[in-house]
Amino acid sequence: MRRFESTLLLLLFGLLAATAQNRTVTGTVLDQTDNLPVIGATVSVMTPQGTVATGTTTDLDGKFRLEIPAKERSLTVRFMGYTTATIALKNGQTDYTVRLESSSKEMSELVVTGYQEIDRRKLTSAITTVKMSDEIIGGINSIDQALAGQIAGLSSVASSGSPGAPVKLRIRGISSISGSQDPLWVLDGIPLEGTDIPSMKELQDIDNIYQTSIAGINPQDIESITVLKDAAATAIYGARAANGVIVITTKRGKVGKPQINFSMKLTYNPKTDIDRLNLLTSDEKVDLELALLQSDYTYRENKGDVARIIAGYGLTDAYKSGGWAALSPEAQADINALRSINTDWNDILFRDVFNQEYNVSLSGGSEKATYYSALGYYVEQGNVESVKNDRFNLTLKTNYRINSKLKVGASVFANRRKQRSYLTFNEGFTNPVYYSRIANPYLRPFDDEGNYIYDTNVQHRQGDDIVPDFNIFEERANTSNINTTTSVMSIFDGEFKLDEHFKITSQFGLQWDEGSIEKYAGQNSYAMRREKEQHIYNGTTILPEGGSNKITDSHQTQWTWKAMAEYQNRFKDIHDLDVMLGTEIRHNEYKSLYSAAYGYNNKTLTSTPVLFPDEDAGNKVPLHTESYAENAFVSWFATGSYTLLNRYTLGGSIRFDGSDIFGVAKKYRYLPLYSVSGLWRISDEPFMKNATVVGNWGLRASYGLQGNIDKNTSPFLIGSYEQVTILPGHSEEAISPNNAPNPDLRWEKTQNVNVGMDISLWDDAISLSVDYYYRKGTDLIGLRMLPLETGYSSTTVNWASMKNQGVEVALTTRNIHTKDFTWFTNLNFGFNDNTVLRETVAENSTTPSREGYPVGAIFAYKTAGLDDQGYPLFLTKDGRKVTATEFLQLNNAGASTLSAEEQRDLFSYMGTTDPKVSGGFTNTFKYKRATLSINCIYNFGMHVQTTPTYDPTNYDRGLNSNRDILNRWTPDNTNTNLPALMTENDGRTGEFLRYREQNLFRQLDIWVKKQNYFRFQSIRLGYDLPEKWLKPIGVKSASVSLEGRNLWVIASNYHNYLDPETMGNPYAAPIPKSFIFGLNVNF
Amino acid sequence: MKKKHISLLFLFAALLSLPACNDFLDIQPIGKVMPQTATEYRALLTEAYSTVPADRGMSTFRSDELTMEGEQNATNLDSYLDVWRWNDVSPDETTLSFNWRTYYYVNYIANSVIENKDGITEASAAERDQLVGEAYMLRAYMHFLLVNLYAEPYTHCDPATTKGIPLKLNSDVREVLSRNTVAEVYASVLADIDEAEKLLNIEAWPEGETYRFNTLSVNALRARVYLYMGQWKQAYDYATDIVSRHGQLEDLTVTSSTLPNHYQSVEAILSMERIFTSSSLGAGFVNPSVLSYYKTGDMRRSKFYRQLSASATEVVKAGTNEYRCTFRSAEFYLTAAEAAVELDDMENARHYLTELMKKRYAAAVYPDREAEVMDMTRDELRQEIRDERFRELAFEGHRWFDLRRTTLPELVKTYQGETYVLEQGDERYTLRIPPEAIEANPGLEEE
Repeated sequence: MRRFESTLLLLLFGLLAATAQNRTVTGTVLDQTDNLPVIGATVSVMTPQGTVATGTTTDLDGKFRLEIPAKERSLTVRFMGYTTATIALKNGQTDYTVRLESSSKEMSELVVTGYQEIDRRKLTSAITTVKMSDEIIGGINSIDQALAGQIAGLSSVASSGSPGAPVKLRIRGISSISGSQDPLWVLDGIPLEGTDIPSMKELQDIDNIYQTSIAGINPQDIESITVLKDAAATAIYGARAANGVIVITTKRGKVGKPQINFSMKLTYNPKTDIDRLNLLTSDEKVDLELALLQSDYTYRENKGDVARIIAGYGLTDAYKSGGWAALSPEAQADINALRSINTDWNDILFRDVFNQEYNVSLSGGSEKATYYSALGYYVEQGNVESVKNDRFNLTLKTNYRINSKLKVGASVFANRRKQRSYLTFNEGFTNPVYYSRIANPYLRPFDDEGNYIYDTNVQHRQGDDIVPDFNIFEERANTSNINTTTSVMSIFDGEFKLDEHFKITSQFGLQWDEGSIEKYAGQNSYAMRREKEQHIYNGTTILPEGGSNKITDSHQTQWTWKAMAEYQNRFKDIHDLDVMLGTEIRHNEYKSLYSAAYGYNNKTLTSTPVLFPDEDAGNKVPLHTESYAENAFVSWFATGSYTLLNRYTLGGSIRFDGSDIFGVAKKYRYLPLYSVSGLWRISDEPFMKNATVVGNWGLRASYGLQGNIDKNTSPFLIGSYEQVTILPGHSEEAISPNNAPNPDLRWEKTQNVNVGMDISLWDDAISLSVDYYYRKGTDLIGLRMLPLETGYSSTTVNWASMKNQGVEVALTTRNIHTKDFTWFTNLNFGFNDNTVLRETVAENSTTPSREGYPVGAIFAYKTAGLDDQGYPLFLTKDGRKVTATEFLQLNNAGASTLSAEEQRDLFSYMGTTDPKVSGGFTNTFKYKRATLSINCIYNFGMHVQTTPTYDPTNYDRGLNSNRDILNRWTPDNTNTNLPALMTENDGRTGEFLRYREQNLFRQLDIWVKKQNYFRFQSIRLGYDLPEKWLKPIGVKSASVSLEGRNLWVIASNYHNYLDPETMGNPYAAPIPKSFIFGLNVNF
Repeated sequence: MKKKHISLLFLFAALLSLPACNDFLDIQPIGKVMPQTATEYRALLTEAYSTVPADRGMSTFRSDELTMEGEQNATNLDSYLDVWRWNDVSPDETTLSFNWRTYYYVNYIANSVIENKDGITEASAAERDQLVGEAYMLRAYMHFLLVNLYAEPYTHCDPATTKGIPLKLNSDVREVLSRNTVAEVYASVLADIDEAEKLLNIEAWPEGETYRFNTLSVNALRARVYLYMGQWKQAYDYATDIVSRHGQLEDLTVTSSTLPNHYQSVEAILSMERIFTSSSLGAGFVNPSVLSYYKTGDMRRSKFYRQLSASATEVVKAGTNEYRCTFRSAEFYLTAAEAAVELDDMENARHYLTELMKKRYAAAVYPDREAEVMDMTRDELRQEIRDERFRELAFEGHRWFDLRRTTLPELVKTYQGETYVLEQGDERYTLRIPPEAIEANPGLEEE
């Protein structure tokens, strides 16, 4: 209280003094860099307490005039975006010129967590910030792609190379098994919905045109990205932050004259060369078919043009016994004709493309208000014809300073995305990437008159012999699949400063996503023929003549309201206290509507009613389905930090999350998540005063608890309503209990320890951050197979504990720094070791426990070559080579007579699917106006269980395949490790069935491959055009750039695959190479 | 100054606690429910009833009722051909399989209802009893079907030592079970029926709901269980009880009669199971040998079957929901007659057989048929009753089980020139437990 009174007294005294004796000072405030006047800067006389005693602002010419007490010795000039300057007043001088320095450096000293802006010198947690720059954005158009290799401890794997496909990001390994492993994305303080990536499997089809809401954000609108890694940083976000948080801060207008920025990118994507896939040529394929037809191998014997030609002449039996010579000359000629056709399916299905992107932004403002508005448009043509992806962005952001106490802001981020593709139905071969690999080289898509030739060799994944007419070009022409998403995110925020210590901030965010997927199949398409075939009733299809149009509309709304009170003060000049309390409520709603029309004509938009013979048939063709889901959350949180002597900081935070409670047992509703942390800034110790080499040196430590609960599994029986008709004309409500309840389910918890050090030497020539972390997850939730006698096939249980520990290093060095030439290197790597500590394997499990192994462990059977029938030999633990029958103790039905435990013991550990070491390596060279940056990423220590190149029991001769099939074991080719084709007549029924029905082939060690790679992700050359060229045309600055992406990759053997990154699935769209020209102009 | 801030902070904290209202979080998800009321439990049971597998119809393919020769849809052919020719070892990948998990899923719902008996709200005691009684019946019937598909026939093994199927008598999903003996399974089935008898109180359901168990179905199921066990006395008693309480028969000699397995026929006791689905209907044709069982004047020949071409005949009394049928009167006439023969009660055997025949043979030929029956020796009569059972119940999911419990005869089939034989007493009279069930519980494999 005494301090308060004395302040008043001083103020009073100051006022009195001012009236006593004044003088007038005038001056001009200029921008240091361009010497232009700074408008609206505050020029003031400060009291010793730091409040304004008297002041004014600069006019349009940057000039000011101020009356001040005569004895005042200094003036303070402040302006947002500039470093505050203090000018010493000299006796006799009344006019001053002040040059303000741009304060972009100062801004970066504040770390944005989404809840607070923390002074980097008080930062106790593991947080990395990346400022977006042209070098980082480069040729990419989605922000998740930009993060690859930028941040230590963040690994990224592209899900597929198809346009707009999301990138799988992992922060510090995997912490949860059943739950989402994707980080939480936060846009200007509001968590985003719809950012989780569906399973990789679904994504690897090129036809899957799925995107997360991240894809809607234009990277050009982003100022910086902050990644929160340890519990001290993420605890305030609660349960959703268990996988780390990525905070996006968007650009805002800077005070000053209006600035217009225009940028453009032109990208060239050549089509991929598929030579690496080693597909059979027509010659090889014809020879193979001829050989197979004479062998005992009968699976899909009537498939393939060779078999068809021979059967057409009625010579099948003759050929089987007599061989080639038994064929008539006509048959021989027809077969030889096949050899001369060599259709390059890759060439005719794919194309080279040019893509474009344009952005224009307008920004500026005064002390009272700033604005940033931007428009962006980008369009990407897929390498597959008719596949296209475009995005239109509109961003409006304004910030107002109502008065010295109140600041408000409003922003709108709107985008509309459209992805077009054609219908690939739900069967593999209609996917162009897949089809280009399996279509026979001797097949032609069109006859001489240009009519479609239908492929009669393809079959459904599991299907009958007869396939409706299929031609991929016809499919492309007569179907379409369009996904349109309109997304609007608006954020309103306000900050009310009661005084210099206490402020209340509040934020309201509304996210609104409308999606529509429209799938059209014309009458003349395989998709339509197939669907008609699936609804045959009494010999005829129930679907009317014509095409079909199926539309799924989805609406997702979420709103979040946050309110925080923050108190900051400094006591006795050595104690800094910062406390924040807050609450957050969140509500989201999801609604979808599906509607189907048959007998549809897209020219007239008319359709025909479906006449169902009975209710059963009607149930199989739903014409209208709806769903609705709603969730609500309430949270409270608090965070605080105390700093002593600017050197010792202690921090802590806690959060309670509550959510809607239907079907959740009471004891599971709340789990407090918390963290404690500390920082010691060694460089500020008195004993470091003279160590001038060291610029900044700090040690950090934190501990925290994170948690997660599976809301889909309840201890109670929960059902969803259905309508059923058991007896005719009597429709009733039924409740279907979808999931098996588990009364034992508990929270999964992760304890998190982080120790880190930051040091910078020789005036930031070297700056290094090293972090060690240890995360231990207990009671992890996972899906477990259930004995079918329970009525269910799986349920969710707490079954494991797991630890992740690792080291992250981020090193930035300024290797050379001269007037004209600089060279920066940025190296980061994350080493992560994941070990499953405990895994309760179900009694009935035949696959081994991962205890002691990483969570991504791959287990396989060790093999030791082939036996004299070309069947794999297995290596037992005691070193014997035995057949599968002996190894697995198979009975004639292909079932193992070993107990589940004995079966588990047969497996060997082969490696893990997650990288041990991942990171990035970037070099930036600047020479005068040119900048060369080389950005590489790497992942080491991964393994992948690849899809076998052929299947020994179900090899389909109707399809083209990899050359491995030629090197399979045959009586004439015994020097190979690739097994023979097996038949049920080999006298080894048990083994045959095991291969055929239980996927034994896939479980052999020969399919597990190493997956290490070092990718030259981007090489970019930028050039800033000289001002003297630009001035005459009214341009402030401009730059051009050339970039090559994914040009090279150095990797462990990826024979037979296009790219080491997409090895798991030979049919995934490859990561494309691209060349980008960029232009950036500022007016 | 500090005090002022602290009080402000408290004021703010108080404001923060405002949204703590539970109303905001109290969201009842649309379309989801935790069953509590009688209506909800009824809906849960409806789900169980609607998912009861149609495997008795599938079994028709394994018995001698169908031929696969003829013009049929390829999809249907592939789905059933290997079932039909008993190729269990390497069936075509699209072959339909007999259910396993679905029986236990129905069973899970039944167990949940039984366990929550006292928690059912908004229900009268009678309503609650009826719901739980039906659950017991469902549980008994699911186990009964499973043991008859996947275990050796009770009448041809030592039930006390032969492995049957796992009995699942609670809803705990954490249990891993092994197979109980055949005797244990039958004992449990009978015990569940006893429980159900105490609780069921609805004698007849209104039309549209006759798929639900009623009081009559208790003894109907008992009659069938005892018949399958070869315990003739009980089979006879329960079958005759049904005949006396629900002896109505459709008179097929009358043009306007309804097909007897139609859910609206006077014979219907329980119209629960769908036997022959529309897809199975299109997959095969009536085996000509079946038609040869019918003698002149048998009205069933023209009512049950429709000639499509010179070589193809299709079944009329199947394929839609209208022909859901688990129990109907005629079965119990035949069970009573069969049990009477075995008990050497020739008079009653003839009585129950001819009572049925009267409604099946044209009036002009009936006296001759009756005279034939009256002249038969015990063995002839036994065979005649079995044949009559085939004529009456063909394509209603009885034949396969009747072959199993009686003589396990040799069956010979031909398809496109190939001959397939199921030898007498062939082990394929018992289905393999599905591989996916063994994969999920390897303990089932042990013999």
